[in-house]
Parts: sequence; structure tokens; C-alpha cells
Amino acid sequence: MDFIATGFIKAIELLISGDAATWSAILATLKVSTCSMAFSLGAGLPCGFLIGYFDFKGKKQLRTLLDTLLSLPTVFIGLVVYAFITHRGPLGEFGFLFTLTGIAIGQTILAFPVVTAITAATIEGMDKELKLTLITLGAGKRNILMTCLWEVRYGILAAGVMAYGRVMTEVGISMMVGGNIKYNTRTITTAIALETNKGQFADGIALGLVLMLIAFIVNLSVSFLRKQ
Amino acid sequence: MPEAVAYQLKNIRHYYENTCALNVDELQIAKGSITGLIGPNGSGKTTLLKLLAFAMPPSCGDIFYNGKKEGCFSPVVRSKITLLTQKPYLLKRSVFENIAYGLKIRKDCRNLDSRIRTALAYVGLDHAQFAQRKWHQLSGGEAQRVAMAARLILKPEVLLLDEPVASVDTQSARLIRTASLNARDQWGTTLVIASHDLQWLYSISDSQLSISNGNIFATGIENIIPGPFEETREKTVIKKLEDGQILTLKKPENKKNTAMIKKDCLRIKEDNGSDNQLSGQIISMLAGEKSSHVLTHICVQELSFTLKLVPDQICRMNLYPGKNIVLQFDSTDVEWI
Repeated sequence: MDFIATGFIKAIELLISGDAATWSAILATLKVSTCSMAFSLGAGLPCGFLIGYFDFKGKKQLRTLLDTLLSLPTVFIGLVVYAFITHRGPLGEFGFLFTLTGIAIGQTILAFPVVTAITAATIEGMDKELKLTLITLGAGKRNILMTCLWEVRYGILAAGVMAYGRVMTEVGISMMVGGNIKYNTRTITTAIALETNKGQFADGIALGLVLMLIAFIVNLSVSFLRKQ
Repeated sequence: MPEAVAYQLKNIRHYYENTCALNVDELQIAKGSITGLIGPNGSGKTTLLKLLAFAMPPSCGDIFYNGKKEGCFSPVVRSKITLLTQKPYLLKRSVFENIAYGLKIRKDCRNLDSRIRTALAYVGLDHAQFAQRKWHQLSGGEAQRVAMAARLILKPEVLLLDEPVASVDTQSARLIRTASLNARDQWGTTLVIASHDLQWLYSISDSQLSISNGNIFATGIENIIPGPFEETREKTVIKKLEDGQILTLKKPENKKNTAMIKKDCLRIKEDNGSDNQLSGQIISMLAGEKSSHVLTHICVQELSFTLKLVPDQICRMNLYPGKNIVLQFDSTDVEWI
């Protein structure tokens, strides 16, 4: 059991001393997760709103598909993205393989259904009087979209937090698409997997602590926003 | 000079799935008028108000506003017509932000604070006490009044109110009445108000429309007798009431199942000249502010009848709420709807 306690102590030392490999993995994780969250929120919120707000033919089937995509395995997304961006793939010419951009694409695909499905469910559960109230106060279509999203902001925050949780903790996409290249595409989760395999528990625990800290900061921010 | 028309409805039909909720061949509402809508739950009042608010399109037919055919989201009507729903939704923000919302989307933020102060005063709420309150810190009546203030601040051309006094106390109902009358007098606002509170509605409205099963009667409240009816051999149908009394009506020409007897055709028994004589009790008497008649509601078992009486007749017959009377009408006075 000593190795766990030793690991904790060494982890703190690594973080405080500014170990280059550890901080490189942390920065890579923050970069790709921020990027993928920005894209998935940018696309997922309007899509979720449209699906939740309007009734159309095939809506139920689309919701079923979205709910299925919620549990999409990360290795499968990694495989599909790899197939598309590898040199022989349709997007091979862009050179995304083994880059942070490639990981961000995969993580966007992972987070998009989470944001879309939860936003759609939140909008569907919205008070029906809201739409009527907004129309009769003179709101145009854009005002209705923005006000509805604002009214269900807690639900949307939950969607963002859930999606962020999936993005931050995934290993499959980062490993397959990023290649786990030190100082380049190594993220916190791939680094933990590697260091644990090597028996370097201290590095793994240090990165695990950072993940926990990020999760704590995100939840603290959400809690603060809710109070506002 | 002919009265200016705010609304003209032509051949309006509105369906929810296969059920016809509203059926209006022709209806006009004058500018600057206050029109009361009377009718039981599910009669089509809210549907009519939503259509007048252009919040949804009718299944078929045309609605003209100020002489022009308009539709949902038309910029012409969007900023001029507003509806206060039965259960008003307050945005999840402060009272100030709720009232300011309509002005902000119109990009009209001049003297916002003083205008909100005035709007709150219209509905009897103190700015200092309420402006910064959150939506969840209001009682039902206060929320209703804040929602009303959010409409009044817009100085709308048309203000549609759906059961505005259903969940408020007498004082709030009086304030809403005063605010509605002010809107008409100050800005020439046209008001259409649906309410079950007949006393309140008669005290505010210039004219009343009665709605039953989606049909509108411009003559105000009328007497609706729902089916089923039993057929007889003598080209009549009958309805047996719970206490054994029998209503006899002329048989409908087609398969219509709801009878209407206009209030002008009803009499309180003074002779034996009618084929329908029903024992009932006067339950209320309402004097309209702008009419010399007294609307008298009479309960006959499960049916409720309304008739118009003149004060002289009331004095002569010594009529008062609670008095048992006999109601008369002829079987041929029926209209089938």
C-alpha cells in the first residue's frame, strides 16, 4: 500500500515543481476539451432547441437515434474518426491524424449528442405558456430562441457539464486519433493509462488529481452560475 | 359615421385534431371597445383569444386587423397586440426584468425605470418593494398583476385578457379593472376579456359575446341546453331533468344535439301560455353598468338559464336571489347548434 501514499506525495511534488511532461498533458487536455466543447455547444444547442421546440415527422425516431448516440463507445468514435482522417481516408489531406485537432474532432462527435439530447429534453419539458407569452409580448423568432434557452439555462448547464465530463474522461479517441505523443498529443487520460502501465503511479496520481481538480472547478462554477 | 373596426373574422374554423374548437362565420370587434367573452370551460374562449393575438393560425378562414389580412409573426401586429394568458408565465428573472422584457425586444429602453414604476403603479404594486423581487418570490395574485403590468407598459393597441381575475382577490380585481379602463381611455386600446366572473365582466365591458361549443353569439350570454334528447312522435324532442321535470323542444331538422334558447324568449310565469314550465330558483341578479336591464340567472336542476329583466318587472314580481319561480318558454323558441 506504500506505493499509493508515495504516489500522492510525488504527485504533489510533480505539480508544484512544474514537471514539463505533466503540464504538457494538462494543457493538451484543456485545449482539446475547450475546443470540442465550444463546437459541440455551438452546434448542439440550436439543434437541441429545434428538435425540442418543433413537432415534425420523424421526431421520435431522431430522438431515439440521439439517445442511442449518448452511449456511443469512445473507441468506436476513435475508429471512425481515424478512418476518415488517416492518410488514405477522405479527409487525409488535411493531416489531422495524431494532432490535437483530430482529438478535438472526435471529442466534438462524442459531446454533440449529449448536448443536443439533453437540450432537446429540457426544451420539451419547458412550460408551454412560455412560447405563448413570448409571442404575445412581441418576440421575434430569434428572441424566442434566445429567451427559451435562457429560461432553461439550468438544464443546459447540466447538458454542458455532462458533455464536459465525457470529454474530459475519455481515453479511446485521444489514444487512437492522437497517438499519445509526449509533449504533443498526450492528454491527461492517455498519460494516466500509460504511466500506470509503466508502474509510474506518482505521475498517474498527479494527473488524476488534476482531473479531479478540473471537475471540482467546473462544478463550482456551475453552482456559482446557478446562484446568479 | 360607421364605427372603426379593429378585427374582422371571416369563416374561421379551428380544429384540435378532429375536434372543432371554434366556428365563426363572421365577427367584428370595434376599435376602442371592451368586449366580454362568456362561456363555459372548453367552449373556445382561449382559442379565440389566441387567434386574435395571432399566436397561432386558424385551421381555415381569415382574420383581418385594421382592414388588412394578417398572420402569425406579422411585424404589423406583433408589437401592437398582446395577450395575458390565464396562467401567466413569468420569466425566470426579477419583476423589473419581466416588465422591461417587451420594451427591450422593441429596443425601446428610454426612461425604463420610471416607466416600470408607472406600470407597477397601474396594478397597485410598489416599485421599491417589488421591482427587484425574483419571479418565485411572488404570490399568484402578485404574479398576475406583474404580468398585467408587463402588458400595460407596452401601451398596446389591443389587450386580450384570459381570465384576468380568476386567481386574484377583490382589491386586485378592482385594480385590473381600473388599469384596463385606463388603457382604453388613455391609449384607445381595444380590449377583449374572457372571464367567468360575470359581475366583474359586466362592470367593465361595453358588449358581451357568448361562446358555446365554439359557436359565438353576439347577443351575449344565451341559454345552452346540451343533449342527449329523446325523440317523441309529435315532431318534438324532450329532455328529462333529474327531478322529473320535462323540457319539450321542436325537433331539429338535422342531427344537431345542442339546443339554444335566447334569453329574450324566456319569461317568468305570469300566465299559463307556454308548453315549457320549469320550476327553478333565482341564483343571481346582475345589473350591467351600461344597460338598464338586469341579467337574472335561474337554476333549474342541472340547467342554468339567464334572462333579461327590467327593474319594473323585478319590483312588480318581487324577485330576489333565492326566490323560487316558474320559468316559461315555447318549444318553438329553440335554435339548434
